[in-house]
Amino acid sequence: MNRGPLLGELAVLDDVGPPRRGRAYPAAGVSWALLTPAVLLLGGLLAWPVLRTLQASVTTDGRWVGAEHYRAALAAPGTAGVVGRTVLWALVVPSVVTVLGYLLAVASRRSQEGRLVRLILVVPTALPLVVTGVTFRLLYDPDPQRGLATLLLARITGRPPDQVPQLLGPELVTVALMSAFVWAWVGLAMLVFRAALDTVPTGLVDAVRAFGGSRRDVLWDAQWRPLLLRTVAVVFALVAVGTSRTFDLILVMTPGSVRDEAAVLALRVWQTSAATTTGEGAALGVIWLVAVTAGILVAALFVRQAWPPPRQSAAPAPAAPPPRRWLRLLAAGAAVAWLLPLGVLVATSLQDPVRAATESWWSGPPSLDSYRAVLTGAELWRSLGFTLVLAALVTAAVLGVALLAAYPLAWLTGPAAQATGLVLMVAVVVPVQVIAGPVNEVLGVALSSGTARGLALVHVALGVPFAVLVLRNAFADLPADQVRAARVGGRHWWGTLRRLVRHNRTAVLAVAVLEFVQVWNDLAVGLLFSSPDGAPLGLFLSEQTRGFVAGSGTLAAGCVLASVLPVLVFVLARRHVVAGLVAGGVR
Amino acid sequence: MTAAGRLRRRTLLRAAAAATAAGAGGCAPGRRSVQVAVVWSGSEMARFREVIAGFPAPVQAIGVGNDIDAFLAARQLAGTSPDVAILSRPGLIVEYAQRGWLSEVTPAASYAAPAGMADLLTVDGRHYGVWIKAAHKSLLWHPPSMLAEPPRTWDALVALTRRLGARHRAEAGPAPLAIGAADGWVLTDWFENVLADVAGPDLYEALARGEADWQDEPVRHALDRLAELWSVDGAFPGGGRRALLTQFEESVIQVVHHRDAVMVFEADFVDAIDARFRRGTEQLAPFRFPGAREADQPLIVGGDAAVVFAGSTRGVELVRWLSDATAFLPWLEAGGYLSPNLEVPVDHYRDPLRRRLATELLAADTVQYDLSDRLPGTFTGTDGVGIWRIMQDFFMDVTDGVAATAAIRRATGQLADAARAAGSRR
Repeated sequence: MNRGPLLGELAVLDDVGPPRRGRAYPAAGVSWALLTPAVLLLGGLLAWPVLRTLQASVTTDGRWVGAEHYRAALAAPGTAGVVGRTVLWALVVPSVVTVLGYLLAVASRRSQEGRLVRLILVVPTALPLVVTGVTFRLLYDPDPQRGLATLLLARITGRPPDQVPQLLGPELVTVALMSAFVWAWVGLAMLVFRAALDTVPTGLVDAVRAFGGSRRDVLWDAQWRPLLLRTVAVVFALVAVGTSRTFDLILVMTPGSVRDEAAVLALRVWQTSAATTTGEGAALGVIWLVAVTAGILVAALFVRQAWPPPRQSAAPAPAAPPPRRWLRLLAAGAAVAWLLPLGVLVATSLQDPVRAATESWWSGPPSLDSYRAVLTGAELWRSLGFTLVLAALVTAAVLGVALLAAYPLAWLTGPAAQATGLVLMVAVVVPVQVIAGPVNEVLGVALSSGTARGLALVHVALGVPFAVLVLRNAFADLPADQVRAARVGGRHWWGTLRRLVRHNRTAVLAVAVLEFVQVWNDLAVGLLFSSPDGAPLGLFLSEQTRGFVAGSGTLAAGCVLASVLPVLVFVLARRHVVAGLVAGGVR
Repeated sequence: MTAAGRLRRRTLLRAAAAATAAGAGGCAPGRRSVQVAVVWSGSEMARFREVIAGFPAPVQAIGVGNDIDAFLAARQLAGTSPDVAILSRPGLIVEYAQRGWLSEVTPAASYAAPAGMADLLTVDGRHYGVWIKAAHKSLLWHPPSMLAEPPRTWDALVALTRRLGARHRAEAGPAPLAIGAADGWVLTDWFENVLADVAGPDLYEALARGEADWQDEPVRHALDRLAELWSVDGAFPGGGRRALLTQFEESVIQVVHHRDAVMVFEADFVDAIDARFRRGTEQLAPFRFPGAREADQPLIVGGDAAVVFAGSTRGVELVRWLSDATAFLPWLEAGGYLSPNLEVPVDHYRDPLRRRLATELLAADTVQYDLSDRLPGTFTGTDGVGIWRIMQDFFMDVTDGVAATAAIRRATGQLADAARAAGSRR
């Protein structure tokens, strides 16, 4: 799973807002036919596994045992720490990301260097979390010969290197993981804030100024109250939900001896059950599922009360002054700080394999030997090819299923619309580790367990809820005359659907890009449902971290090669992605 | 569902799968190649492919990554199990056999595994697997130029470590030992060697079977010995905290490249890392893990065994063929391979190290199989879990100045709890 799709919560959270007008509806029989693929996928690979997990958490071999598994799971050593860390992640990281994201969005608006700053900050957003983990593990290496952060700490504190606090050691490992996570997510928060700031009506700002309002008044009356409160809530909620993806980072960044000190619920559930169903694992999973669901529902309801969506679209104000000096300095500083880890990764990849394992990356002359080593081996190519085909097929399947389902759902109004919206939203945030065991049971029945087909099916099922949400909102928000034209022009439902898709190209593109990048960057799904038909990139790279230092040169080279495509796709399409996702409220 | 019912369903599903595959591939189902699932990758996989190229029928080797248990369980559920799987955990093989997943196998005439290994693959008198690869896990390695006279008893090793540790603390020389404590299996291998020496084969066996108490005196004695060595000030480059962030390969690099330490402990595959990272031409030399007396040398082995999934006759043929003394000749000649088959003539080995280790295997009356690989369920250990985690906690305690008695009490308590939770009979 990847952070990308959560961007859509902007559009998604509107579902709980005012009821939508029904427009492009097909006949009832056709509706059900169109919904069938989505219902089958979500029912079989999400809903049933969730129910099965619930059942497994209160039974042993089909026998009712009440809360026994819950008691056992909670009494297991370290569980309190695991739950505590999970909560800490869900509170601290979103706060930091939200504040930084807002400041950087303001700082990089309307200034010349802003474009470049934004570009630099967006790149980590598109990286696989596996690559982020490798990058920060290189940066934080406890050996001052390799770990730049350790070297700097030793210089600053004036202590000998083996007395310096270890960033990957048991005391600080959670801080180290959080820093990597913030690095990866701030760009996303910044993009969302920027899109929000651009929709603030300029008239409002002018009006506040005209009445003698100070900068603070402008911020409070023209930005915070009408708009930012909601955006902050959205960003906070989506980052909080996103912290469940620390799983990838923990697997890649932590040496085995500190894994327990870093563990969160995602990891504990996986360690307890892996891809099978166990009572204790299910109990932990249910606790986690309830927390995530409650969180997303509270966020949705809170947002609904806070904000009636603005109807007018506004161009960015050309006359507004550029940001203050300290903000611009902050932006420049952030750009440098965000570039540094990327530099470490690239520099390490440019060492030959033996040097990368034994010397500092800053001391030797660059060499392409590590690249040569990975490119001449068959494994990376096989993995790249497999991942490309997988991501392309899954994206096509998700789009197909979601378009068919979004079309009939777009005519729902009132409580029915809100209920579907909520159900889909909950489906978006179900952590795959919780349902892995039951999903494998379903795949076993469908002859797909342990095959590439099974892996693809799981990806499709996990991607569909989000795609349906976004496309449904986009369809429902089309101006009436476009819908009418589509219905008059296309005599059959598929003609109408085709025309609707043409009018919604941005949303479709946004969904396609996010789905593709998500599958490409995935680790958790590949880890749980991999097959001998081919190792997805995330899995291929993460398996090499078992000999992290010895293989760091080729691993870094593999990471760089694996990142090129998602970064390129995401950076090129970032404007469409954001536009497509916020389209629901603005167009 | 009964075993028979499960079998019937699986057979049906497999037939359906085979039909689909045949339809897609356009060939008759009978010509499907024999599938072998292995955890190997890279050069080991390439060598294994050379080996199976000698089998008269086509064989397809599929690498399934490290979590072969999850993979096989999923395949079993789907009724698409491979014909043969190669596993390193005898505990898992017994578990599979008891669930009725496996076929009985008959090894070739020229197959004889060492005592202590052979019976691990037997359930109710039936053989469910053959050993096809072995690892010698009782070796300490050193560059001869840094250490002329290797210690031959445990006390000599401790004395040497104290002497070199004092010199290292004075910044007058390298640390005595490198240790990859970030990998839990390195620590369990240490523990197993000491335990085999202190506790003797009977208790070792009983612990592996879950029939002995982990709080017994010999276990505490073994941990006490480890504490004695590991708590030596200056024993590891960078200290215990640093060692806990050092992975196995890096610990070898500390010796062969940086010369930060004099000795490193691990199995015969250390020589591959030495070859890759050594500076200059000096090779590491191994010496046997020392016991209490010079005559006592524990011999811990690991290995890989081939098993056949129920109903695959060609799998049975392949496994019998693999167990033949001549099957692994290509790998034997390429080097880096130690055979568990005592019928393989020692002079077939090309690399001198493996020839020496094979001789040691032949000479031993009995060997002890890697204990952690025999433990049930999660007790067997993985990163942050089971006995790996417990030994890392213990290492952290004793290198951090916690009194040995307190550290041992904590560790044995954890071991006993984990054994109970993993459903051991005790």
